[in-house]
Amino acid sequence: MTARLTVNGRPCDLPEQGTATLLDLLRDQLMLTGAKRGCNYGVCGTCSVLIDGMLGRACLTLAADCAGRSVTTVEALDADGSPDPIQRCLVEAGAVQCGFCTPAMVLAARALLDANPRPSRAEIVAAISGNICRCSGYGAIVEAIAAAAHG
Amino acid sequence: MTAVAYHRPACLDDALALLAADEDARPLAGGQTLVPMLNLDLLAPTAIVSLADLADLRGIAALADGSIRIGAMETHARIAASRIFAAGQALVPRAAGHIASPAIRNFGTIGGACAHGDPVSDWPVALVAADARIEIAGPAGRRGVAAADFFLGFLTTALEPGEIVTAIVVPPVPGRAIHLRYSRIDSDYATVIVAGAADIRDGICRSVRLAVGACGPVPVRLAAVEDLLTGRPLEPALVAAAGRMLAEAIDPLDDVRGSAAYRRRILPGLVARALAGVA
Ligand SMILES: Cc1cc2nc3c(=O)[nH]c(=O)nc-3n(C[C@H](O)[C@H](O)[C@H](O)COP(=O)(O)OP(=O)(O)OC[C@H]3O[C@@H](n4cnc5c(N)ncnc54)[C@H](O)[C@@H]3O)c2cc1C
Ligand code: FES
Ligand code: FES
Repeated sequence: MTARLTVNGRPCDLPEQGTATLLDLLRDQLMLTGAKRGCNYGVCGTCSVLIDGMLGRACLTLAADCAGRSVTTVEALDADGSPDPIQRCLVEAGAVQCGFCTPAMVLAARALLDANPRPSRAEIVAAISGNICRCSGYGAIVEAIAAAAHG
Repeated sequence: MTAVAYHRPACLDDALALLAADEDARPLAGGQTLVPMLNLDLLAPTAIVSLADLADLRGIAALADGSIRIGAMETHARIAASRIFAAGQALVPRAAGHIASPAIRNFGTIGGACAHGDPVSDWPVALVAADARIEIAGPAGRRGVAAADFFLGFLTTALEPGEIVTAIVVPPVPGRAIHLRYSRIDSDYATVIVAGAADIRDGICRSVRLAVGACGPVPVRLAAVEDLLTGRPLEPALVAAAGRMLAEAIDPLDDVRGSAAYRRRILPGLVARALAGVA
């Protein structure tokens, strides 16, 4: 049996190159470009996705090492046609400027709210501490995540 | 690009055999250090040997003598969330909880961090403070090395080629945990770390240990400082003297996180704050 991983519910084959990253697979093979390639070495957070529900860096994860795991990208969040409440709140708070950091921010917030549906402001800040926004829109981003959590 | 093989051995012996057969093969733990090095072309291994399926490298469990065995593949996040650590041992989960940001903590492992041996990272100083032992398996069998003898310098450890870190064993640590980490922002490497434990009752220090990290090639822990403080009331002048001794003993570099002089300057204050926090 060939080892496979699941991306947004669909099984897919692993790349042959042992050093190919999950980000290479998502962007270059599967054309899921929601995960951004910012730095490609772990610092900016724009490539963050959910791996078995945990926030992780797609650029720091070898695709081959994801055999048997389930990966969720931002594309899955509005697959039913309606955006995730976090996405709606980000738009309403004006928290999307250039938007480059946004898909990963959405997933960082999703991981937080799945584990902790009523986070404090400090918990929200800690949850996105590995996600850099070059437009520096943190205030509105934190506000949007709080709005998604507290309604 | 030449193809790099990916192996996923099911047991430790198979992993050791794969590493023994090819000196340019690299073990893979969380990948949070190895993969950026691959992406930046700083490393060109012939094969990747994933440690993901090695059951021997998993688990956080108490041993009969009160020591805690942490499997090398346990992540920073799982260690930070564990409630098994008692008294001063709690410095270990506290150190884990301050590493980088959630995504890195979810995948980075204690074994990978030890093997990498970066002196600005959080594990070396915490494990020296805790008197932990690094358990190693290799072609010549198994051995254990005290943390103080394991971290030898910048990216240099006691690990021999072909060896795998299997676990970290933390003995009982008396007193209350100390872990103070000064960094410019959350999610960055620290400028100065003070880790340890102290048993302070009625203002008298019954026992203490203090290690300083991110301030030189290896963590600094001084018996003279611990002797000076032990058995005495912790008067400000005594605490300041201990802080000065540590500040003189560290060997920091000037870097983007602070100059050597700055690190020396803030260390005594951090030591005083750390001790006040457990008094
Ligand atoms: C943006 C960013 C910020 C970071 N910030 C911090 C920080 O603030 N503090 C901190 O302490 N760390 C920090 N790190 C490093 C992080 O903690 C890494 O997870 C850790 O240093 C390496 O662990 P790993 O499991 O990812 O190892 P890997 O990357 O898989 O491996 C690291 C090295 O160790 C070898 N190796 C791995 N496991 C073993 C083993 N069991 N036996 C023998 N050799 C092995 C590998 O071959 C490789 O050479 C940061 C990393 C990034 C990307
Ligand atoms: S692209 Fe992965 S962290 Fe920057
Ligand atoms: S909106 Fe531009 S980087 Fe965050």
